[in-house]
Amino acid sequence: MVDTIVFVLAALVILSGALGVILARNPVHSALMLIMTLFGVAVVFVAQEAHFLAAVQVIVYAGAIVVLFLFVIMLLGVDQADSIETEPIGGQRPAAGVVALASVGLLVLLAVRAVQVSSGARSTSSALDGEGTNLEKLARVLFTDYLFAFEATSALLVIAVVGAVVLARKPAAEDVQDRKGVGALGRTRSGSGR
Amino acid sequence: MLHLLAQAEPFRSPTVDFHAFAPEIVLSVSIVVVLLVDLVFDERGKWATSSIAGIGLLAALVPVLTLAVDGADRSLFDGAYVVDNFALVMKALFLLSGYVTILISARYIAEGDYYEGEYYFMLLCSLLGMLVMGSARDLISIFVALELLSIPAYLLAGWRKRDLRGNEASLKYYLLGVFAAAVMLYGMSLIFGVTGSTILTEIGAALDGGEAPAPIVVVGILFIVIGFAFKVSAVPFHTWAPDTYEGAPTPITAYLSVASKAAGFVALLQLVFIGFLGRSDVWGPLFWVLAAITMTVGNLIALRQTNIVRMLAYSSVAQAGFMLAPFAVAGDIDVDRGGPLAAIPPVVTYLLIYAAMNLGAFAVVMVVARKTRSGELSSYGGLFEYAPGLAVLMTVFIFALAGIPPLGGWLAKFVVFRALLDAGTPAAIVLAVIAAVNSVISLFYYASVAREMWMRPVPDGDRAPIRIPASLGSALALAAAFTLLFGVSNVATRFGDLAIFGFLP
Repeated sequence: MVDTIVFVLAALVILSGALGVILARNPVHSALMLIMTLFGVAVVFVAQEAHFLAAVQVIVYAGAIVVLFLFVIMLLGVDQADSIETEPIGGQRPAAGVVALASVGLLVLLAVRAVQVSSGARSTSSALDGEGTNLEKLARVLFTDYLFAFEATSALLVIAVVGAVVLARKPAAEDVQDRKGVGALGRTRSGSGR
Repeated sequence: MLHLLAQAEPFRSPTVDFHAFAPEIVLSVSIVVVLLVDLVFDERGKWATSSIAGIGLLAALVPVLTLAVDGADRSLFDGAYVVDNFALVMKALFLLSGYVTILISARYIAEGDYYEGEYYFMLLCSLLGMLVMGSARDLISIFVALELLSIPAYLLAGWRKRDLRGNEASLKYYLLGVFAAAVMLYGMSLIFGVTGSTILTEIGAALDGGEAPAPIVVVGILFIVIGFAFKVSAVPFHTWAPDTYEGAPTPITAYLSVASKAAGFVALLQLVFIGFLGRSDVWGPLFWVLAAITMTVGNLIALRQTNIVRMLAYSSVAQAGFMLAPFAVAGDIDVDRGGPLAAIPPVVTYLLIYAAMNLGAFAVVMVVARKTRSGELSSYGGLFEYAPGLAVLMTVFIFALAGIPPLGGWLAKFVVFRALLDAGTPAAIVLAVIAAVNSVISLFYYASVAREMWMRPVPDGDRAPIRIPASLGSALALAAAFTLLFGVSNVATRFGDLAIFGFLP
């Protein structure tokens, strides 16, 4: 009973969020509606006892990725009205319609098949056996079997920080003109052969 | 929360064999030192970073040697990280080619307007990823190693920040690289889904049993191989290579075409010959097609190039085709000739020899560009008249790449042909014929460089001799010595035969 109520509420949140994403006029509102959808999905994950996935959903998707979306939207300018009359790629509207129809057809097919096949039994791939929660087992594996990959990932973060600084840093004024050095070895415009 | 903690069994830290990790630890220490030196010293101290980076790489070679002397195969973290002969040979290759890259970088980076400390930091981080790749024997380690070696490479490709072509190089490499990584991850998740393990030996056992559903296995293997085909710039996934090679700083071009490509092959060797060993019916034809079109298309486009860096880029695409050929026929090699695993030594041998000759060719390109400021083929006119030593060296490297005896490239091609003929099936013979035709085609464009250097007049009449800086000179000497040594002795094939996996399914 509680399961059903949670599911219905979460589904309402997810669907209204998803509709909001495509219906909102303002791109910032769209991005915020997306967060709502992602939170709804996180609730469904919690209901399925996938606590780690729920946390990742909130932290990574709602936290990091949507913030990235917002950054891009803000950088491009919110009030800039895009003309949606001109199509950059010809025929993309009919193509989108065909793909959408095909996707809906596939979903209906899957749903029909699922009704025929499913036994109504609980999924066997729920929580792992043994002592402790899923989260605890995950942590244990991460810091034993996958310790090395975990540590190597930390090196990646340092690379990302240094790389971001290198890419973003503006040169000091006196550095702007190139000192003598071997420049590009690229082809000249005339003598190119691809 | 507290009651959960109370009932949890006490955490046992995993046993870590620090000797096995010593090369990575030494390299990590030098990475930190480079970063700190760059931070602490001002502009006058920056030159030290290249020396520290070089010394760090050589120091990391010491534990590789002690591990080789020790000889025992080590398996850590349930087989996710393995130090065996294969890993040691590949690590030595990565460290040495990284050292040569630093030698050819030193003057280029110091004289141009580049961030110096960060450059060596990125280069060392990328090499750390390669060391990890040599030992990574599970899907997660392979992926982390791939990212660790790729992300610094994306940045290094765009190190010439104020040059539009440099930006194009970096962006193209980055976008196609992450796209390939995504495809590969999808394949990995499918393989994990059907086998229930990320450890390659366990995947190998599960796939060999034939219980896994075939379509998913096929798609999984296909996607993983495609992901790495981008890394080794196999046709049709090579489109990034020429533009990236041309726009990147030349030392990085050398590095990408040698070390980065070798890392892609190392991952492919591990995945195919440990994880997918039993499914040669899936990857055999795939590699056949990749190898055939890679060498043909690479060579045909190389013929038309007028810029030496682009020509070397397409030539390295074509060379990758030769390295892919042993994969294609591995499944057909008889058990009394070594079975599928007999395809590993030719690839490793080829990688070793290719590293020496290609790094040498790029070193000459860099030396010549110091005078001519150009990468056009025509700027090599009359090189013999004012720089006979360089012309001879370039001829050695170029003809080695073409596969003329007694230079190194000859032996590399020979072992590949022997593997193809060992398999002996009609498909293998056809591939051998394609490879032979391609060797002849490649001679045309390699020889055109030699003709330019020996027979054409100096384009602008400037016959001032070229001064070779000490670091570039030693890089040239190292590359030339190895190219000749590999040609006249069986050192490379010995290392190739040594490079066997310690743990198989």
